[in-house]
Amino acid sequence: MTARQTTIDSGMGVSCIASTVVHLAVFLLLVWWGKLFPVSMNLQETYYVDVVNLPVSAPQAGSPQQKGNDTEAAPQASKLPESPMTVPQAPKSSSKTAKTATKSPDQNESAFADRMSRLEGKSAARQQEATLERLRSKVTASGSGRAGMPGASGKTAGSNYKDYIQSRLEDALKVTSFYTTIKPEVVVRLYIATDGKLSKMKIERSSGDSAFEIAVRRAIELASDKFPPPPNHKEVDLGVIFNRKGVSPNQH
Amino acid sequence: MALLVGTGLIVKIVLLILVFFSVVSWAIIMFKLVQIHRANSESLRFMDFFWKSKRFDAIASQVDRFASSPLTVLFNEGYGELKKVVETDSSSDGSALSTDLGGVENVSRALRRATNSEITRLEKYLTFLATTGSTSPFIGLFGTVWGIMTAFEGIGKTGSASLAVVAPGIAEALVATAIGLVAAIPAVMGYNHFQHKIRVLIKEMDSFSTEFLNIVQRNIAGK
Repeated sequence: MTARQTTIDSGMGVSCIASTVVHLAVFLLLVWWGKLFPVSMNLQETYYVDVVNLPVSAPQAGSPQQKGNDTEAAPQASKLPESPMTVPQAPKSSSKTAKTATKSPDQNESAFADRMSRLEGKSAARQQEATLERLRSKVTASGSGRAGMPGASGKTAGSNYKDYIQSRLEDALKVTSFYTTIKPEVVVRLYIATDGKLSKMKIERSSGDSAFEIAVRRAIELASDKFPPPPNHKEVDLGVIFNRKGVSPNQH
Repeated sequence: MALLVGTGLIVKIVLLILVFFSVVSWAIIMFKLVQIHRANSESLRFMDFFWKSKRFDAIASQVDRFASSPLTVLFNEGYGELKKVVETDSSSDGSALSTDLGGVENVSRALRRATNSEITRLEKYLTFLATTGSTSPFIGLFGTVWGIMTAFEGIGKTGSASLAVVAPGIAEALVATAIGLVAAIPAVMGYNHFQHKIRVLIKEMDSFSTEFLNIVQRNIAGK
């Protein structure tokens, strides 16, 4: 029985060694697999569409009144009629009949119908004029008419290169946001080269929250990978204020 | 790999315990697979040899060929006891039937004792499999709960609850549950499988004991 027990124990020892080897092999296999197919945890980028300025022929092109030097401009909108649509004139004969309307009931009816048609015509013309006026004022107010893409020079939110950069920074800050004080704030000036690369970054002012500063740096690094080239091939310097709520432009 | 590196101390300890459970469980599974496979195959061969042989002493001389079979242990024990009974019988003056029946009882008790010792031998280490199967998921769950607690603490400190902050901590914590299940599932499957195989072997041992006693009784009664 003792010899049998010894055999059993040695068998168990061999099994333990084999099991350890198998576990190590599985672990190494998993490590190798992880290196071969790394798990990416990147969040998908959010794209915004400026609905106000949407009716352009191509999203990169801008509106008809664009002041940028982009080659791919939107086609000119069809010209508006110089004069409003003329009100349909009642036939001359009808005026004559109106004068004689009091003479017979049939004549009265026809005069009334004529007047109604004239009034309807006037109302339609006024309505059309008002619609055209609204369209004109909208086109004038919208400046370049960009659909939220870089390269334009308009002033509407979402149509400006700086606004675009600011929104990218805000997206990145949402991912990296980290702070240890109640009101963290970092004022940064960014210098973007003609090719869209971040050439220089300077922290102008900070509330002293080092964790938030690191988060801001990481956000800038994250966002700067996808900065498009500035319009007009000119360098851009941009002052932005990072705080807990997001990113806002630095007016000073 | 990054998930394992990023975990806290407690979760790492939990993972080490689970890995230990898994290593030992698999060692037992491998050992038992070989042991029970040998026991089954050699029992079949031994039974074949047993029924072909005419004499117990011829079988006893060849029994070493089937060392892994539990039936050989039963045979050795039964045959040893039978020899003692016969020797006692021949040394005493009479050969009364009552003495012969007492001898059969002795052999029966020896066979029962041998059966019990073989069952104990076959079931050795199975309790560890049962323990692993029942406790590993809970140990893993403990690691996960601890990891999630730590992750939430971190979220509270940073003040940000974005997916990028929450997800890695929870993923790291869930590794403990995953490894707990990886350790437990084979252990439970192995335990059930070996229990079934051992039950079959116990039935075979019972049948062999009955056959052995029948043969002994027929021979003693036919003296």
